[in-house]
Amino acid sequence: MTAAGIPLRTGRATARRMACLAAAGRLLRLEFKRNAVPYVLPLLAAVFFFNTVRTADGFPPVWTLRASVITDHMLFEFSAFAGGLAAWVGSREGRRKTIDLVAATPRAAWARLSVTLAGTLSWLLLAFLAGVAVLYIQTALQATWGGPPLWPVFVGTAAVIVVAMIGFTCGVFFPGRFTAPLVATGALVLYQTGLRQALGVTASSGTHALLSPASAQSSVDTGVYHHVAPDLSITQVMFMGGIAVALFGVLSLAPELRQLASSGGRTLLRAALAGADGRLLRAVAVILVACGVAASWTAFALAGTAKPDAAGGWEIPALHSAASDRPVPAISACRSSSGFGVCVHPAFGFYLNDLAAALGPVAAEIAGLPGAPAGAKEVASVNGGQDVQSGISVNPPVFEFTAEHVGSMFGQFYGSQRDPVGWREGFQQGLLDAFLTGRPPHAGPVPILLGPAQQAVEDALLTAVGSQPLSAGVTSAGVSAAAQRFATLSAGARRAWLAAHLAALRAGKITPAQIP
Amino acid sequence: MNVEISGVTRRFGRNLAVAGVDVETGPGVFGLLGPNGAGKTTLLRMMATVITPSAGTLRLLGRDPGSCGPRREIRRRLGYLPQNLGYYPGFTVEEFVQYFALLKEMPPARIPAAVAAAVERVDLGGKARAKLRSLSGGMLRRAGIAQAIVNEPGLLLLDEPTAGLDPEQRVAFRDLLRDLGQRATVVVSTHLVEDVAAACTEVALMDAGKIVFHGTPAELTARGEGAAAGDAPLERGYSAVLAESRS
Repeated sequence: MTAAGIPLRTGRATARRMACLAAAGRLLRLEFKRNAVPYVLPLLAAVFFFNTVRTADGFPPVWTLRASVITDHMLFEFSAFAGGLAAWVGSREGRRKTIDLVAATPRAAWARLSVTLAGTLSWLLLAFLAGVAVLYIQTALQATWGGPPLWPVFVGTAAVIVVAMIGFTCGVFFPGRFTAPLVATGALVLYQTGLRQALGVTASSGTHALLSPASAQSSVDTGVYHHVAPDLSITQVMFMGGIAVALFGVLSLAPELRQLASSGGRTLLRAALAGADGRLLRAVAVILVACGVAASWTAFALAGTAKPDAAGGWEIPALHSAASDRPVPAISACRSSSGFGVCVHPAFGFYLNDLAAALGPVAAEIAGLPGAPAGAKEVASVNGGQDVQSGISVNPPVFEFTAEHVGSMFGQFYGSQRDPVGWREGFQQGLLDAFLTGRPPHAGPVPILLGPAQQAVEDALLTAVGSQPLSAGVTSAGVSAAAQRFATLSAGARRAWLAAHLAALRAGKITPAQIP
Repeated sequence: MNVEISGVTRRFGRNLAVAGVDVETGPGVFGLLGPNGAGKTTLLRMMATVITPSAGTLRLLGRDPGSCGPRREIRRRLGYLPQNLGYYPGFTVEEFVQYFALLKEMPPARIPAAVAAAVERVDLGGKARAKLRSLSGGMLRRAGIAQAIVNEPGLLLLDEPTAGLDPEQRVAFRDLLRDLGQRATVVVSTHLVEDVAAACTEVALMDAGKIVFHGTPAELTARGEGAAAGDAPLERGYSAVLAESRS
């Protein structure tokens, strides 16, 4: 070989590669231009609006909460559409009877199918990411703290890809006009029942169901006080990515498996494989299948080791980083109403004013009494893996509550009407519950209900500040009568009686009849 | 020789579709005649490298299609129009032909001109931007021929190419066949003996998976001189050979 021969050969190889890329680009452009997905986009957009956008609107503008809609709602419609559309496109050669025509061309079937798949996936992912952009832009305009979480987007993207891969593969191997609707229905059923719902996630049943992309959003303040550990998301992406890669490898054998099926299985597999697109492609396909299966199996095994973390989520020891356990630094947003300071996490700053206005009058009614809180402070709703119950801390006495109380005003009302009055009274009742029982904040089971006399005093105090007691109509006549009597007293008289009898009232030694 | 077929057999389960066929042919138009179920389409599919023979050897364009590399080379220089032409209704004529030009690994720079030329040669220039779903059966057939000839194939396999064409188009198509046969081997499978008479330089007659006649159209016509059934001389030759092979 001459010295001049080497660059000449290299130049030819480069030119061949460039030509190959240019051809692939043109094929992709054709597939993108004539894809079936755009015809269905208006319907997908309508379902997205009614199912996902409306649900997100019903959630408080907290990033992690809004982002949970991606995996809990958005994937519902996208899995059905992605699976069905990919199956429709994948079955094209069989449905349109072009198998012989394309089989007589030199471009490898795998390359041809890959370009078709890429055209479809491009549309599906563009639609998915556009949907995510709508949700995130809307949240960015409303949220008071934080930024867009990326892991739900990665998990959602992986889910769309894997469902599309499953649909496309079904379409290639079982081409027919019913393949697409069957795959779409299957995807809906699979998502609706969900691995999580089907298998349950308990200590006894195992934690493999966590591989389902449906999120485990445990509380309204997930990701606010503590980082959301990405362990589970990593495992889910690995599991779904593994399936997608393995199916991509299986696609390379499509023509040979079709031939095997058409010969009624009588042709030996070896003979069918002899018609494959070359040993190199076959080797790559086998490697892809092996890698995909290994990744999915590893993810499956990892999911089995998941355990609840202190913040109410899940951690996978092999993937867990201690950095995820550190609290998220944030400066509380505070406001004072009638001398009663209220502080919340900046992520919940949107309800601070309403909260201060709700708690101020009640705090004024009990101000100066033993154990009466000087302020209120929002705390994390989960501590040590257990739900936190509101209460009044000592030294200094501060009413500590959780963002779960965001409830009916800004919370997960799932289509029910917003109830600002009920929301305000719920907070007021929470404060009075803690005051009248002298209960400190704690993590654990829900505390015992108020006694009759405590209930009567609480109802009276709520009436005094112009609120409707939440227990009205369900308490006994004696309690109602006592509450009415106590409410008609002057504020000074109520305070004087409470100052004298608060210890006995908290101890349950007062009866409704003893209330003036 | 562009096509060298020796003892080729193809079975589908218990059904013997092609039984020990031997054919050799070079440039020119080769007509493949035969009744329904004679094995013409199966033979063409093997020549198109779509299916492999159960036995026998096949050499196309001087290469063995049983090996991956040579098969790819053959396919680059192959044009194929199957009996049942599948198509993508959403594609335009131009896009359909371009799609197959890309699948045939033509140099991208040459494709636009080659597509335009192929579309013009089948007289679909005025419909180049029309969606395939809007075309008549005859036009679709012509679009199928355009995709088959877009790469200027060395071996062109046409299965019932004139089905659905009107008389004027068939005449034009025969001219096209004669033109293509100047440089390439064109194998035409057909029921229509007048196409063979008008365009083919060589003809083979298949029956029950075997070649029962191989010669020129004139030789086939000569076999029918006598009392065989048929309206045209070639038809009488066709009937006489079939009757002889079945007796």
